[in-house]
Amino acid sequence: MKKIIIIGILNIFLVSLFSLLFTNNAYSQTITQGIKEQLITNIASRVAQLRLVEKRGIIGTVTNATNTQITILDIQNNTRFVDVDELTKFSSPKLKTAYGISDITKGTTLGILGLYNKESRRILARFVNVVSVPIVVRGGVAAVDDKNFTVDIVTIDDKKLIIDIGYTTTTYSYTSSGGYIKSGFSKIKEGYSIITVGSLDPKNENKISATRVVIFPEIPYIQKTQSQNSSSQK
Amino acid sequence: MKTEKIVLSFIATILGLLVAGVAFFLFSAKETTPPKTKATSTVSPTPTALPSISLTLSQPKDEEVVNKKTITVSGKTRSDAVVVILTNGIESVIAPTISGDFSAQITISNGQNIIEVVAVAADGETKSIKKTVTYSEEEF
Repeated sequence: MKKIIIIGILNIFLVSLFSLLFTNNAYSQTITQGIKEQLITNIASRVAQLRLVEKRGIIGTVTNATNTQITILDIQNNTRFVDVDELTKFSSPKLKTAYGISDITKGTTLGILGLYNKESRRILARFVNVVSVPIVVRGGVAAVDDKNFTVDIVTIDDKKLIIDIGYTTTTYSYTSSGGYIKSGFSKIKEGYSIITVGSLDPKNENKISATRVVIFPEIPYIQKTQSQNSSSQK
Repeated sequence: MKTEKIVLSFIATILGLLVAGVAFFLFSAKETTPPKTKATSTVSPTPTALPSISLTLSQPKDEEVVNKKTITVSGKTRSDAVVVILTNGIESVIAPTISGDFSAQITISNGQNIIEVVAVAADGETKSIKKTVTYSEEEF
């Protein structure tokens, strides 16, 4: 009987030991899996970090410039911070002499090409160039001045502008039946929708020297402007 | 005697398993498992009063740097609208398909180019999107 009890106790001990070893092994496997997942996460995070930087090109107007940083307002009206270093190259097409960071003044329009960091949202500039951006105006023709070859337009934000149509201005017209065809100053009529590309007259801020004009004879703009005005008055 | 041995061994095995089970339960109860991070989903607010003319651009990507001078401008607008694509030097006017999709190949200049796409609806309403695309072959 004593022998049987000893065998029984030994059996309990052995079964407990083997079961514990087995479950412990399973548990350590779970831990190993956890470490593995953590490692994968870490590697993925590092890869993402490496992908944080990409080439980007922006255009904006300078609001502030120091020896190491340029702050600009981009075309979407967002403030952007641009870092410059000894590798950054500066150029201005109008200047024959060397152009550098100290020549950049508030209000200058710059084209910046560099490395954008998605995390810090800053651009490390590699090329900084002074650029001129043409003005695009959308609106409707309010009046045509045949003598001075100018067109008065009302823009979508209700501004009144004078468009100077010169010899170099290219005028096109678009109709659903005729398509996109070359046109001229004489074809511009009151009430037409118009898109103008040009540059501001330095002497008159309400005057634009047009380089390109597209008119839409089938799309009456004035009616739209009037209805907008009447609804806004309400 | 033999039956007794078998029964005793069986009972001992059961007891062994129970002891092991209790021991494992106590061991694992001590370990605190870190809470799993839940995937967060951002819910954008429901857009209010949509404008009557819509314009979306699928190509090009804003602030993109390309090494080819010909790029594709594509997007969607109202089917009755006329789409004008203005770049630094040229403009192109296209009519969208019945579904409102449009696509055009345009040539860009060296350096930064502002690509402005204007949709002009038949009722005179307009909408525009500006994007900057840079042509450069510089390696840095």
